[in-house]
Order: sequence, then C-alpha cells, then structure tokens
Amino acid sequence: MNWLLQLYPARWRDRYGEEFGAVLASQRASVGLVLDVLGGAIDAHLYPQIQHSHSKPIKEEDTMTLLMLQRCSAGGPKLSPRDQRIASLVMIFSGLVMASLYIGLTKIYHSAPAVQALFYASFPALALIYGETAYLRKRPWLTQVFILGGGLSGLYLFMLAVCVIASKL
Amino acid sequence: MRQTKDDAELDDFGRFSEPALLILVSLAEEPRHGYSMTEDIEAIAGVRLGPGTLYGALARLEARGLIEALKSEDRRNPYRLTTLGERALRARLDSMMAVARTGQRRLANA
Repeated sequence: MNWLLQLYPARWRDRYGEEFGAVLASQRASVGLVLDVLGGAIDAHLYPQIQHSHSKPIKEEDTMTLLMLQRCSAGGPKLSPRDQRIASLVMIFSGLVMASLYIGLTKIYHSAPAVQALFYASFPALALIYGETAYLRKRPWLTQVFILGGGLSGLYLFMLAVCVIASKL
Repeated sequence: MRQTKDDAELDDFGRFSEPALLILVSLAEEPRHGYSMTEDIEAIAGVRLGPGTLYGALARLEARGLIEALKSEDRRNPYRLTTLGERALRARLDSMMAVARTGQRRLANA
C-alpha cells in the first residue's frame, strides 16, 4: 500500500512520508482506505499546507521565534473575509476623499506642485491604506494613526519633493 | 455558533474541520503520534480516521501553529498542542457547549 505515497507532492512526502507510511501500514487495505488516501493526495496538491509549515520538528528556540513573529505581524498575512471587506471599503472611501480633494485643490491652486504631488501620491497611498487597514486593524488606534499617518506623510513628502524638482527643471 | 477570536483559528478547515477538532481533543491529554491519535479518536468518538484525512487535518493544524511536532528517534513523530491550539480548542468547545445547552433547554421546554 505504500506505493500510494507516491501520489503525494515530494515536499509533503519529505515532511510526513515516514509517519504517514507507518499509519498506512497499520490499517487494513480496503477501497475506503484507498479513496481516503487518494482524497488526501488531491488535497495535498491543491492546498499544499506544507509551504507554510515547518519542515523539521520544532525546537524550543523556533517556537519562541514563531511567537515573536506572530506578535509583530498582527496575526500574519492571514486575513479574514471581513478584514478584507473593511479594508476595501476604507480604501474606496479614501479614494473618493482624495479625488474630491484633488478636484477642489485644482480649481483653487491649478497645477501647483503640492496639488500634483497629491495626485501622484494617491495611487500608492490607496494600496498603503488597504494594506495597513487590513493588517493593523487589531492594533491600538495610536499605532494605526502613527504608522498609517507616517506612511502617508512620507509618501506625500516624497512626491512633493519630486514635483518641486520637476517644476524647476 | 457564536465565534470568538480564538475560535476563528479553526475556520477554513473545510471537510477537515471535524477531524481537526478530534485531533486537538486527542492531543489535549498528551502528545501522540499519528497511529496513537487514530486509536484514541476511535475510542472517544467511534470514528476511525484514514491516513489521508488524518494528515490533511494535521498539516493544516501544524501550518496554523495549533499543534507542533516533537523530536523523535523513530519514524513516528509525536505531536503536541501549542498554547494557541489549546486556546482555540477551549474556545471551540465552549461555543459548542453553549449551543448544546441551548438545544437541551429548548428540547426540555418543547
């Protein structure tokens, strides 16, 4: 029955192959068992969990590193559909605010570098707003304001510097 | 079922939801390797998990940090529950118990 293991991806076999073989050998051969293993192999190809997992048994120091990383990354890249919806709505709303602001400022100041900088900064700003709203949502509001505000300010100042230099050329 | 933040760790397991929960319950007692888990799960729930299902659920639990593999000399790697896994299991069992209590109460009043 161990030939069924060959149906699994190589990386999966490297990680679980031996112990899987031991469990497989302990079970009586049946159609149900073959179907279960086939289903598992298809799942391992379609949803390769192994790339997110550890290739070796975890040591004490690895666990500490993992816990620190989880703390720093606010839950990591795994976003719930709700987080994604909220981040999308915030991004759309911010896009509308920036567009209105740009139109209003253009009417008053025409193509001043500060207005042009707002235009150029708005595209990366929307991506920044989406990313930071999604990943920082569970952080304290002060952290969110500091990181998001700092990021947006830095981006705008960079674009402003570019537009000022471009206007002088 | 009402969900908590910890409980949400067990989301997105698809057809592996129930096996994953049974594995966590099995590991709540002590670290076990795959064969020992299938025996224990059969004893507590009357279900014998096939290796495809068992390792599909194990890989998901390990990838989410709910369980971890321990070093082993032989080819049977034991697994243990992590702190995160213990929290997720407690949260899921609490919400299941709340639903069960409500169901029992309603049946009693029916």
